[in-house]
Amino acid sequence: MVAPPRTPLRVDRLRALNAPQPVEVELDAQGRPAAVRPRQNGRTAGTAAPHRVEAIGEIWRVDDEWWRQPISRRYFDVVLEGGGHVVLFEDLTTNQWWIQKP
Amino acid sequence: MLQSHLAVCVWIPLFALRCEEGRRPELASRPTALLSPEDTRRVWMVSPVARRMGVRPGVTVSQAIGLCPPLVLLESDPVWYDEQFAHLLLALSDVSPVIEPAELGRAYVGVDGLEGLYGPPERVIAEIVRAVDRWSATTDHPTTRPPYRLGWGRGKFTAWVAATRAKPGEFVMVADQGRHEFLTSQPVAALPLDPDTHRRLYQLGLKTLGNLTALPEAAVTSQFGRLGRLVWRLAAGLITDPVTGREVPEPITAELDFPTPIADRVILANTIDKLVERALQSPRRTGWRVHTVRARAVLEQGASWLIDITLKDPSADQHRLTAPLKMRLEQAPPTGAVERLAVEFTAFAPGTTELQLFARDAESAARAGRRKALRAAVHEIKTRLKRSTLYHVIEVHPWSRLPERRYALIDYEP
Repeated sequence: MVAPPRTPLRVDRLRALNAPQPVEVELDAQGRPAAVRPRQNGRTAGTAAPHRVEAIGEIWRVDDEWWRQPISRRYFDVVLEGGGHVVLFEDLTTNQWWIQKP
Repeated sequence: MLQSHLAVCVWIPLFALRCEEGRRPELASRPTALLSPEDTRRVWMVSPVARRMGVRPGVTVSQAIGLCPPLVLLESDPVWYDEQFAHLLLALSDVSPVIEPAELGRAYVGVDGLEGLYGPPERVIAEIVRAVDRWSATTDHPTTRPPYRLGWGRGKFTAWVAATRAKPGEFVMVADQGRHEFLTSQPVAALPLDPDTHRRLYQLGLKTLGNLTALPEAAVTSQFGRLGRLVWRLAAGLITDPVTGREVPEPITAELDFPTPIADRVILANTIDKLVERALQSPRRTGWRVHTVRARAVLEQGASWLIDITLKDPSADQHRLTAPLKMRLEQAPPTGAVERLAVEFTAFAPGTTELQLFARDAESAARAGRRKALRAAVHEIKTRLKRSTLYHVIEVHPWSRLPERRYALIDYEP
């Protein structure tokens, strides 16, 4: 039997994928990311050396959902030292930086 | 983990077609094509004869027949190809303990230190050729010798590129001193990249590895990310990717002491069932099929009993392992009551399921075979961990401007 199209998705079985992780970011003179240091469990990861940002690709801004929990973010598509490709964003409501996969 | 920096790449192009020719030698001289396991309306693998008549992989069946009316179309049989490949790996493991399968028809043999055993590199190559011939002799029609190509070099990449330069039945050896010059002139098609990235390289006018390494490493990295950095370094011969073999597990034993000696064959047969099941669940067995299984018993008054079975086709299936043991139990039962019964797996072969799951040649695993393998893997994980740790990626809002909202994970139940 074919399930009715309005069968609700079992949202309780869904797991987040690519959730942003908090990160410490060193900025250059123009306020753009120059280096990142990942954080574990909300704390800076020991004395690990920061990863230098080798190149910045796109920069874009998202302002959305002002009618409920406002989202205001400035995104940077960056290539890190060693070839890692990540997306960094600054939450403009809390001034906190986050990292996630592109 | 066993590793070897010096590698020999054993490559049998069009392996699946060669397996079919092994079963039906008359196909060797005819234009032949295998249907795609994913989409039976399309052609997957094409024999050289059919290719000369214009048939290309990916064309529809009607186009293929239009181009080549005498074309013989065959449905693919991935389980058979995997079994044949597992036998080839088994034959190669007689030469070196370090064997790494890459895809159907391509495997790497680690040859570090083998010169002490066989002599100079040419002798080592000769041993590998003998192993391939031994494997070929066990196929249905041993007269059809597979047109293997061999490449010798430092690291898997150099060995693979060397194999692609070799003529059928011959080998190409790349010495360490000449590695850089050899790689420079090779086409970028040798790089382990997806078709889109290859197309981008061609669009950028990069035809050879030398063209690629003439660019600054940082430029390639910023264009292609981490993968770009890796292939630039491979092309420049700056890194060697070693052959990584797996250690064959030690014998696995499951045994049972009877409180009172047992002579009843039905009870003994049931006990063999349980012991095989228990031995199969050993974590050391994961990824291996059992080649030799043994049942032994300690009898009253200190006597013993032993049966030893070598399976023609190694298996991880409980029924296929217990059936010959039970038959031998009926034919040659213990001469007295049994005090202790043990089942022992003493020789192993690489697992077919593992090959189907992890072979990088995605097309080689037909949908049916792959789902069967996945179901078996999921069942095994659930049995061992009491829960599934496999998830399926689903689209939630694929066009969302917030990356974390595009996809989510859901429990995977094939």
